[in-house]
Amino acid sequence: MTDPRPPRYFEMPETDTSVHWKPPHAYDTTTPVTVWEPPASAPENGTDSALDRALARPGKRRRGLFALLAGSLAIGTAQCGVAVYEAWQYSNWFSGLWAGLGVLAAGFLARGVFKELKRLSRLRRHARLRERLEDDSAPVGTLDDLARHMGLGRDDPHLLAWQQAQADHHDERERQLLFEHHVLAPRDREARRLITRMSTETAALVAISPMTLLDMGLMAWRNVRMIDRLARLYGLELGYASRLTLCRHVLSNMAFAGASEIAVDMGAELVTMNLAEKLSSRAAQGLGSGLLSARLGLRTQRMLRPLPFREEERPRISHIRRQLWQQVKGSNEAEPR
Amino acid sequence: MAWTLPKHLRDVLERGLDRQVRLAVTGLSRAGKTAFLTSLINQLRHAGLDAQLELVSAVREHRLLGAQRVDQPDLSIPRFPYDEAMASLQASPAAWPTPTRGMSELRLAIKYRTRRASRHLTGEEATLTLDLIDYPGEWLLDLPMLQQDFHDWSGTMASLMTPERRAFMSTWLEKASAHTPDSVVEEQTLAELAAHYTDGLHQARRDGGFYFIQPGRFLLPGELRDAPVLQFYPLVQLEGWSREALDALPADSLYQTLKARFEHYKRHVITPFYKSYFQRFDRQVVLVDVLTALNSGPAVFNELRYTMNALMQSFNYGRNGLFSRLFTPRIDRLAIAATKADHVTPDQHDALQTLLSTLMSQPLQDMRYANIPARAFALASIRATTVKKLENVTPNALALSGRTLEDQEVLLFPGDVPSTLPDETFWARQGFSFTPFHPARHTSGALPHIRMDALLDWLLGDKWL
Ligand SMILES: Nc1nc2c(ncn2[C@@H]2O[C@H](COP(=O)(O)OP(=O)(O)OP(=O)(O)O)[C@@H](O)[C@H]2O)c(=O)[nH]1
Ligand SMILES: [Mg+2]
Repeated sequence: MTDPRPPRYFEMPETDTSVHWKPPHAYDTTTPVTVWEPPASAPENGTDSALDRALARPGKRRRGLFALLAGSLAIGTAQCGVAVYEAWQYSNWFSGLWAGLGVLAAGFLARGVFKELKRLSRLRRHARLRERLEDDSAPVGTLDDLARHMGLGRDDPHLLAWQQAQADHHDERERQLLFEHHVLAPRDREARRLITRMSTETAALVAISPMTLLDMGLMAWRNVRMIDRLARLYGLELGYASRLTLCRHVLSNMAFAGASEIAVDMGAELVTMNLAEKLSSRAAQGLGSGLLSARLGLRTQRMLRPLPFREEERPRISHIRRQLWQQVKGSNEAEPR
Repeated sequence: MAWTLPKHLRDVLERGLDRQVRLAVTGLSRAGKTAFLTSLINQLRHAGLDAQLELVSAVREHRLLGAQRVDQPDLSIPRFPYDEAMASLQASPAAWPTPTRGMSELRLAIKYRTRRASRHLTGEEATLTLDLIDYPGEWLLDLPMLQQDFHDWSGTMASLMTPERRAFMSTWLEKASAHTPDSVVEEQTLAELAAHYTDGLHQARRDGGFYFIQPGRFLLPGELRDAPVLQFYPLVQLEGWSREALDALPADSLYQTLKARFEHYKRHVITPFYKSYFQRFDRQVVLVDVLTALNSGPAVFNELRYTMNALMQSFNYGRNGLFSRLFTPRIDRLAIAATKADHVTPDQHDALQTLLSTLMSQPLQDMRYANIPARAFALASIRATTVKKLENVTPNALALSGRTLEDQEVLLFPGDVPSTLPDETFWARQGFSFTPFHPARHTSGALPHIRMDALLDWLLGDKWL
């Protein structure tokens, strides 16, 4: 039996610069738990991802706001507390009740803020985890982190199927492949169904709505709901702030994708469908809103999916537009020109 | 799918539709070809049932329906002894399949549900025919000889005479040096010299573990035993003789006699073998027993690299269009695999795979240049060990539990695999000794394996889409 060689002998191949591919001995000396648990509030140098940057940017601006809010909350609570005490001393019951109500309100507010922050940090963690999985050399255990992070219960059938599919000799890439198949693929299918359904519904609603103002409201409401549901599908719960950041990022991403892509997605569609001949303007608006909404949904899905889509698997709008077209045509025929 | 084509028309279509694959299982002797084929057939027959094939996408999608042996195209050669191999694995005590002595062939019909758009026309159920052949690894090494004449071959053999190898061939070297190329040697003496040469080859293979053993039929002559065509040897001491002078020698001189037999051997032994079995492949898996080569030391390890380089020149690589698929198929995708990965702990598989890529870097470069997709794997066709975690020794240390060939239950850490070629000083200091294992007795279900599924998906995944 040979002695195990010293670890330095194995550090030669390509990945010198990465800290991940140390031989297993290296993990023995340190405590493994601290290595894998991503620090929830240390974005110093890990912020090179697009999503991460987008999420981190407002941090500085908000710090003042946050201090102000926390300060006034603290002062308010203190003042109300003092008021309750005084009311009790002087038997001034009404002002006492008011003050008590004030303390309660402050408590609710604090809880809300706390929850928001937690959800925001979860979104950020999600982004970071995704980032880590994107390069091939993710450390062992990242996938388990991800499963935990996605809030999959111990008896989740997909998770169980994944665990059952694994063998002890599988490496990270192979485990990732299986994770995609067993855990993500069902969610991808569900997401696609959701996007298709919601965007066709949006199209139909817009097509029959009588006012432009109502259209806009409709669009906003439906799309936010769609994003929410997509997020929940991939194991994220969105609060106000996190929803806002996500929406903003999705939108900026869509804008960044550029006019050419939009032209490809929509233009070709509009041309091939010979809209001018066949559709009333209302129905055309409906179709446009539906397509936009579908695009938004797909973008969101792409951003939320913990492992990036492989090129050939990425869902495309062409999968959805046929159904959209049927929907709109139906409503178009129902409506007199 | 209310309307589908009638059956006979469908068969014609399938031939054109790329549903026939001939897989080249390439490996030197003891590389693990027979074990690989046995496992491959076993896994495919159990696909979708109890085989552990999670990494095959068609299995994950529940599209692979199973496989059956069907009549092979060439009825004159024996069937691959799958049942015998399984019987020896199921016997008590279990044993590895016996070393291969001759050619055998097997055809598998793999049923699957297709995902292609053409399914609406041809029906959803499709069949992929997979042709497999098995042969003694010794014979494979004859293929590079086809590209050489006697003079070149003698030169190659002379250059391979390292001191380690010389030790095994000493009797022959001594006796052969008594005869100059222009001398006339009696038939009887020639036969004796050839016998000494053959003995030397046997020893170098068996005791030294050397790979580049030519001619391969000398080790496994079959029905050619004692025929004059197997009574020749290379002339390794040709210093002072120019090629012209040698060619001008009379026909009964030693050089000309050996040369004539060499040419005869090429024409009547190697060429038919090559033509009938090694020309029409679509896919290839190259099995390399890296671990045993590491055990044998630097001279053997370097020779393994040289041998694999020489071997890979003997196959046709290129893209297959419809035309070439029907008439002159070429290998358009290949996998190279380090076999017996169950001899080391799973955390060493990466290193094993990297080492294999380094060992095969020249062929891999050529593949890349020819734009042939190739990938390296660390593989165990039939897994003989189980992995254990040693809790109270050092946290997370891994060890293997299995039975050695001496029939002892062991729990051992087999040693690290280097991911690059070790240098001289390391060989002098330490070296390797990976322990071979007895197969675990197989009772029912599919054979345990390591990464057969990944390899299958890579080799055939696009064929059963
Ligand atoms: N542990 C382990 N040993 C293997 C495996 N595959 C092959 N071996 C060992 O390698 C030996 C040779 O395997 P074979 O499959 O007979 O090799 P081959 O390439 O057919 O050899 P020839 O028929 O002589 O050309 C076996 O007897 C086993 O000891 C494997 O997957 N795991
Ligand atoms: Mg064999």
